Amino acid sequence: MPQVDFALIGHPESWNRAAAVISLLRGADRPPMSLEDVREIIPWIPPRTASRVTVESSQGRQVRGVYIDSFIPPDRLDSRFLRENLARVRAAATCAIKEGARIVTLGGFSSILLEGKTDLLPSHSKTAFTTGNTLTVALIVKGIERALELAGRDTSESDVLIVGASGDVGSGCARCLAPKVRRLFLSARNPDRLREFASEFLPLGSRVAADTDLQQLSEKADVVICAASMPSPELILGALPPGSIVCDAGYPKNVSAEFVPREGAIFYGGLGHASCGIQLDPDLLGVMYPYSCSNVAHGCLLEGVALAMERRFEPFSQGRGLITPRRVEDIWQIAQRHGIGLPPLFNGAGPAEEEMRCLGRGVPR
Amino acid sequence: MQPVTVIACSKDQTHIWSDVLAQAVTGELIGALNYMTLAELYQDPSEKAEALEHAQGERGHAASFTAAGRALGIEVAVNLEAQYWKRIRSIFLSRAQAGDLIGCILAQEVMLESFAVASYSVVAEAAPGELGATFARIAGEEGEHVAHAVELLRAERARHPSAFDARTHRMHEEIMTALAEMMAREDPGGHCGLCKGSCVKHSLPEAGISLSEIRGASLQRYLKTLDEIGVPGESSLVWVAQLPV
Repeated sequence: MPQVDFALIGHPESWNRAAAVISLLRGADRPPMSLEDVREIIPWIPPRTASRVTVESSQGRQVRGVYIDSFIPPDRLDSRFLRENLARVRAAATCAIKEGARIVTLGGFSSILLEGKTDLLPSHSKTAFTTGNTLTVALIVKGIERALELAGRDTSESDVLIVGASGDVGSGCARCLAPKVRRLFLSARNPDRLREFASEFLPLGSRVAADTDLQQLSEKADVVICAASMPSPELILGALPPGSIVCDAGYPKNVSAEFVPREGAIFYGGLGHASCGIQLDPDLLGVMYPYSCSNVAHGCLLEGVALAMERRFEPFSQGRGLITPRRVEDIWQIAQRHGIGLPPLFNGAGPAEEEMRCLGRGVPR
Repeated sequence: MQPVTVIACSKDQTHIWSDVLAQAVTGELIGALNYMTLAELYQDPSEKAEALEHAQGERGHAASFTAAGRALGIEVAVNLEAQYWKRIRSIFLSRAQAGDLIGCILAQEVMLESFAVASYSVVAEAAPGELGATFARIAGEEGEHVAHAVELLRAERARHPSAFDARTHRMHEEIMTALAEMMAREDPGGHCGLCKGSCVKHSLPEAGISLSEIRGASLQRYLKTLDEIGVPGESSLVWVAQLPV
């Protein structure tokens, strides 16, 4: 058996994405499986290795791993299926341990289900678990800075709204951006968690405001980070001022594919780029990330890859709400050392950097 | 002749249970024949004896289903020439003639038994009275056959992983394709040769049986069995993705 440095645990983002994966595995010479059949079959597939992964570091080191799909059905992400989904994540973790993975990252809802409590997973002395959220935060923050730079805007004059601010990723973004932006608005659905988290920012006075009323906050922001744990893209951001920049960092996406901010621009955040290439066998990467940029993967998954490249098999990101700017900078440096960084900004329709530049020039898209 | 106690079974469901039992009894008798063939292939006397015991067990299951049907007032049909079962038996025999003991174990004790365990368990939930208990009991007993095979096949795979996986894939393409076609919403090969009238699959919901649950549970059980044997997950995932639907 080839050495397995890392394992990436994920799940289908949508039924269409699941159908694309099945279609690829099925091959072009067989009739395609209907979406109805895909929806019928996916919930029965036990978590398993779906692909062997090889990633090249810019320092010449190659790391090998596996992509394990927990096959959580895309329409069963809500709390009614918590027990069933936790069982799937545990089974996926067992699969990672059997593969001999030294470090395992918990992609998408996997870490949300656990609320960062990796001690709920089966333990093994040679396998460390990380949520991967620290690199996700780093990539979101770098993406926002890049978008503002392209738009010719000053970060220190931006009013940033974070949706899902009390979550692990949202709170990490808030801590990183609070010292850099003019005003920070924090939005979350759980008032108690939001109040508790917002109290961290009391020394910043009126520069930071928190509210569960997203509509009210969105009227005041010109940059929005969507990092909410939502089972489907249902976030309404209709009240944004014209010219706003939206970073959708949700998995699944928080806003619908059709949404475009009025006279503004949207990009997908929290995704990283491995400059020396990512190879999957079977090659699922293109259907998992059908975007304009190749060699792209979610930051949470790439955190495990970067740590494997650095030979740091440790639970780098654990718990919930513990991500600090210092840890974000640490993982960013590690990732950068191995050629993992920010891809050119893009969204579901294609490259988004020109859209950002247009914002700066005041040119309608 | 034994006395028959007729338990209530709604009249409009009788044809459903009649067809379901015909499938079960025919499948069990094909299983019995397969185990008899396995007994000839085994060199080890204790394995030979066990295969004969399993054949006897399958005949016993067929008798239990027949009796459970009779208790509902149903005379269960048997047709060993029914197209899918005949095809499965024929594939099995061709591997036996080639002396492929492992291929035959994979076909009978992994593929067919996984299907039996899962589908009987689903049917047991919906079946009326004693019939439900019969399906549940037999599902449990078939599960023991799967466990027996896993141990042996895991050791075999450890010796020659790639050759084993290639052989498993070959058996999968033949046996699992036949099973998948049998369980498809529409029979690609026409009438199965067991249903008394039109295809029973369309009527299953009337008896509280979900065809999609039978298909899904069978697939899940099969994948888990392959996992236990040690077949890589990415291989078995591709195999099942390529099955007819």
